[in-house]
Amino acid sequence: MFFRKKIKFNKNINKKQQDDKQIPKPLFSNLEKNLDILRELYKECSDVVFRSFLIAGHTKAQLIYIKGLSNVEEMDNNVLTPLMKKSEKRTVNPKTLIEQTLSVAEVVKISSFEACIEQLSVGNPILLLEGDEQGFALGLAKWERRAIEEPTGELVVRGPREGFTEALEVNTSLLRRKIRSPQLKLKTLKLGRYTQTAIALAYIEDLADETLIEEINQRLKRIDIDGILESGYIEELIQDNPYTPFPQVLISERPDTAVSSLLEGRVVIIVDGTPFVMIAPTTFFSLFQSGEDYYHHFLISTATRWLRYLFCFISLLLPSLYVAVITYHQEMVPTTLLLTMVDSREVVPFPALVEALLMEITFEGLREAGLRLPKQVGAAVSIVGALVIGQAAVDAGLVSDHMVMVVAITGIASFTIPRYNLAIPIRLLRFPIMLLAGTFGLVGVMIGLLAIMTHLSTLRSFGVPYLSPVAPMKGRDMKDALMRAPLWKLNTRPHLTGEYNKHRQGSNQKPHSDKGGE
Amino acid sequence: MIEKGKISALQMGLLMYHAILATGILFIPATVFNVAKQDIWISPILASPLGFLSVYIAYKLNKYYPKDTIMQYSKHILGTFWGKMLGLLLLLLLITSLSVMFWQYGEYVVSEFLPHTPKSVIIGMMVILCAFAVHGGLEVLGRLAGMVFPVFFLLFLVIIILVLPDVEVKRMLPVMENGLMPSLKGAWVLCTWFAQFGIIYFFLPFLTDREKGLKFGMLSVLVVTLTLVVTNIIVIWLFGNVTENFNAPFMSASRYISLAEFLSHLESIVMAIWIAGTFIKLCVFYYVVVIGTAEWLNLSDYRSLVLPMGFLIGVFAMQVFLNSAEAAEHFRIVSHEIMDTLVYGLLIPIFLLIVAYIRKTIFKHKVRRTN
Amino acid sequence: MRRAIMIGVIFMAFVLLTGCWDRRETNDLAIITGVALDKNKEGQIELTAEIHSPGGSGNGSGGGEDNNQGGVQSTVLQIGKGSSIPEAIENLNEKLPREILWSHAEAIVISKAFAENGISDELDFFVRHPEPRLRSYVFISDGKAKEIMALRPSLERSVSEALIKLAESEVLMKATLFDLMEMLKGEQGAIVLPMIDKLSPEEGQLPSESIAYIHRSAVLKQGKMIGVINDQISRGVLWFRNEINESIVTVEPDEADEIISMNLIKGRTDLVPEIDGQSLKMTVKIVTIDDVIQNQTSWDLKRLDKLKALENELVQKIEKCLTDTLDTVQKEMKIDIIGFGEEFRRHHPKKWKKIKGDWDEKFPTVQVDFDIDARVLRAGKGSET
Repeated sequence: MFFRKKIKFNKNINKKQQDDKQIPKPLFSNLEKNLDILRELYKECSDVVFRSFLIAGHTKAQLIYIKGLSNVEEMDNNVLTPLMKKSEKRTVNPKTLIEQTLSVAEVVKISSFEACIEQLSVGNPILLLEGDEQGFALGLAKWERRAIEEPTGELVVRGPREGFTEALEVNTSLLRRKIRSPQLKLKTLKLGRYTQTAIALAYIEDLADETLIEEINQRLKRIDIDGILESGYIEELIQDNPYTPFPQVLISERPDTAVSSLLEGRVVIIVDGTPFVMIAPTTFFSLFQSGEDYYHHFLISTATRWLRYLFCFISLLLPSLYVAVITYHQEMVPTTLLLTMVDSREVVPFPALVEALLMEITFEGLREAGLRLPKQVGAAVSIVGALVIGQAAVDAGLVSDHMVMVVAITGIASFTIPRYNLAIPIRLLRFPIMLLAGTFGLVGVMIGLLAIMTHLSTLRSFGVPYLSPVAPMKGRDMKDALMRAPLWKLNTRPHLTGEYNKHRQGSNQKPHSDKGGE
Repeated sequence: MIEKGKISALQMGLLMYHAILATGILFIPATVFNVAKQDIWISPILASPLGFLSVYIAYKLNKYYPKDTIMQYSKHILGTFWGKMLGLLLLLLLITSLSVMFWQYGEYVVSEFLPHTPKSVIIGMMVILCAFAVHGGLEVLGRLAGMVFPVFFLLFLVIIILVLPDVEVKRMLPVMENGLMPSLKGAWVLCTWFAQFGIIYFFLPFLTDREKGLKFGMLSVLVVTLTLVVTNIIVIWLFGNVTENFNAPFMSASRYISLAEFLSHLESIVMAIWIAGTFIKLCVFYYVVVIGTAEWLNLSDYRSLVLPMGFLIGVFAMQVFLNSAEAAEHFRIVSHEIMDTLVYGLLIPIFLLIVAYIRKTIFKHKVRRTN
Repeated sequence: MRRAIMIGVIFMAFVLLTGCWDRRETNDLAIITGVALDKNKEGQIELTAEIHSPGGSGNGSGGGEDNNQGGVQSTVLQIGKGSSIPEAIENLNEKLPREILWSHAEAIVISKAFAENGISDELDFFVRHPEPRLRSYVFISDGKAKEIMALRPSLERSVSEALIKLAESEVLMKATLFDLMEMLKGEQGAIVLPMIDKLSPEEGQLPSESIAYIHRSAVLKQGKMIGVINDQISRGVLWFRNEINESIVTVEPDEADEIISMNLIKGRTDLVPEIDGQSLKMTVKIVTIDDVIQNQTSWDLKRLDKLKALENELVQKIEKCLTDTLDTVQKEMKIDIIGFGEEFRRHHPKKWKKIKGDWDEKFPTVQVDFDIDARVLRAGKGSET
């Protein structure tokens, strides 16, 4: 209760502050007055440039832009040069002159201070004239942006090598380059009181369920936060179940993944300022899919998928199983193996559970260290890592050989999960299950597993059961979850919510020698 | 309606499969062997008609009152007072049944695998886990059953394949050494399991594909019967006369497995998967008890009952028997003399169906509900 | 949120506050690999446990030590005494600093003296206890069982391992704990167990460096050992019980002076019982497939008539083996270790009930017919020069 009150109170303060800073709405015809207000707004903003000049030598005008966001060179050549050229005819209307001589593609008329600020903030210079209530925003924004590069987080062997960048326009253009149909819709809105971050909601009309789009739109509109720096902010504010560690949206920086999701009727949320787009709704099994699965032969992809499922289980359970077996179910181990295990554990002073926890935590620490360190020091980490989780630890009598193997396999296993945000909860849940295994043996492991399964069954991602198509069972959709059916068999879209456009391709796509022009 | 979620008929069938078989697959072979000897595989076939009958009667009742569970239509059929009374009887039977099931689970895990762990902890953990699932609602149960079943069934097949090298068909002979009587007696023992199919009347109103309800209910009985027959055949092929030495022959079969020296002593894995099956079974009965109580009390939501009921059942299960002799006495009286499952699974529905039939056809009473 | 925290707290309390009741660290376990049972003069049971000594075998992998025989001892022996097996185990427990793990005790050696006093009651422990494996192999030793356990085999890590390998190689009889149970439960309660003999040590060898081998079989009735049969008879018993395995068969045809050795690839026996009033009849149907591996005679086995003759020889050889077995088992020992009673019960359950009571008298009167079909599949390379 106390918390809630406090939050409400804060809200009131914020509202007041905003109200205080109210800006007069329309522009005045008096240039000086306009400039005074703008100067007041951009007080102590050293990056805002006010440049006054005379149009054709008689009308006072002002060009305002933000350093580094606008293309100064073009401004010189295409705005200032033609406008400042002294005209013979003194009676020329500056407005017509602008329309005639300004060689800029995008010129937007603006008539309010709000629009001024908005245009300035994205880098468009504005041009204000004496005696005119209208100004012009010139589409000359240009700022330094990263070139389109190969996404480093999702590498593929085969597939396009382009990745999303930080700029929203670039990202939408990447989508548009792949889906030429006008049915690709992009709804934009701005979120964040101060950052005013642009968010684009991309979907394909007729494929995405309208109620789903409406739902996402509503959830986005509810967000009232001071700033949005990354899609993670939005993810946390719109997901169905805020407490679960499992990701309820799919994060990708690959345009091809985004497009294939769009074609399945999902919605892509692009946030300005981050190369990671969110794809919703997401199911547990789609987190095991990699874009590459569809570029390789279906048998290979199916096998790879099963390998991922298997290794996901290993990553979650192997240390627990080892602890359970070595401390509770020794009879399961074949005699010869048990005897060597016993020999190697004989000098280890810790119980198996402590040994496992120790090693797993060390490994997680090592991984975290490796992630954050500058590249120059990276080599040092791997050397130290090999010492900590390796023969040296065994020789020191701290851990057994078998434990080192277990930790190493678990580590490899956790890297096979294609989505990083799914690998995290699995790594996290490994620890409670280890505790259960240390207390109840395999009974505990099973109880932990059942608890996780129950939790997953209760989850929904934007109304879609998280474990579909396996639970609830949807036979038709399983061909892209438990296996990767050949492309010619994947002729229906996965069913997400509501009505949908079921057929995704012609039904007779299987290549055959009888077909074709011969 | 009190339950907002819906499940498919297939999910209902899977829930019933686990509800009957999870404990049955362990204990049935030994219990039936005591009377039927090497003919134990005949007994499930003889007992299965009872399962089909239970499902059919529940289905018939559901036809009369498609949106109600037994708690509601017993009121329409018998009037409010007697309906409530019958509901109370049903609830008491189910609650004792459930507590005994929790006890059985705890007892088995403790006696076979964790002899030094207090039973209250084992039972308590399971109660919490089940409460978590039941709180999620029927949809969650349906999904869990859908996930557990393939694993359960796969394991069953794997065990059977792995013991095949050791089986000897000869051990089944002679078939019907002492006539049909021993297997009939075995079937009588099995009735307590098959009659449990009656609780399907709690699920029929919540189906998305109502017309398939009967089909999948029957299919469930059939698959249970087949599983039991196969289990019993395998057990008798593998162990023959020695079966009676084991408490849970199927578990002992997994203990007997030895393949390539590596795959041996699988009983701990079997036990883990068995826990998953038992979890579904306990959830089904837990859910039935909770939703039955909520309907009996005319509550608008059953979720608030989950934890209190869990607490009650947990305490019951921990305190119900002091030793195995008391348990044996209980099973002798309640399961085999009173036959509680037969009462709530078959007799009460039959009684309700007859009364409903008389009221609907003979007296031409329009008892159709507005709801 | 509050509820989630509550549930989390309860869950953690369950896990963390409770400790680990059934946890057994391997450092605290004494892993028993084999058990020997003896009776001493006072009538007490002596249970000798072969315990894996951790670290013992670990040294061996490191250096060149392991090639000197028995240099590193990987197992230790410990004896527990008591009037019953649980008591002996209790006694053993007192002497051991570690908890006993039974689940890997896969070899059980019982001394002849022990077996003669009856084993069924004592073995009950191994059956009821959840840890010992039903697949443990059971042996009878000629002398003291603990002397067998004291041997140091040169190839394997421990005697038990050697004995298990010996049983698994299926040269002669083998019996697991489960077989034992089944045979005890069977109609006759008659059991055949492999018997271990110790090879007398060669010159210059320590007594513990000799090897154990299976050459004979012990016959038990109602849990009590009543006799011993030699390897030929044991093989005959295996034939009757359809348990014959790959082995070498040597025949010496009358017309030829030398021998032909064959490798038995497959042997299958079917017993067909018939009851005709009071007389009992058993037809033994055998199909066997053999390969010739050595031919010292002058016979050209590529010729069909010689091959037929050889097959005939084989049939006679098997038949002789079987009749010898019958003479011993049916006429001398009068004990049904060849499973005739079980066959009668399975095929004629009604009639069996009548004769069941006096089966001991009936068994020697069973008339046995043979129907042997021996096939020589590959004659091998001819030896004609």
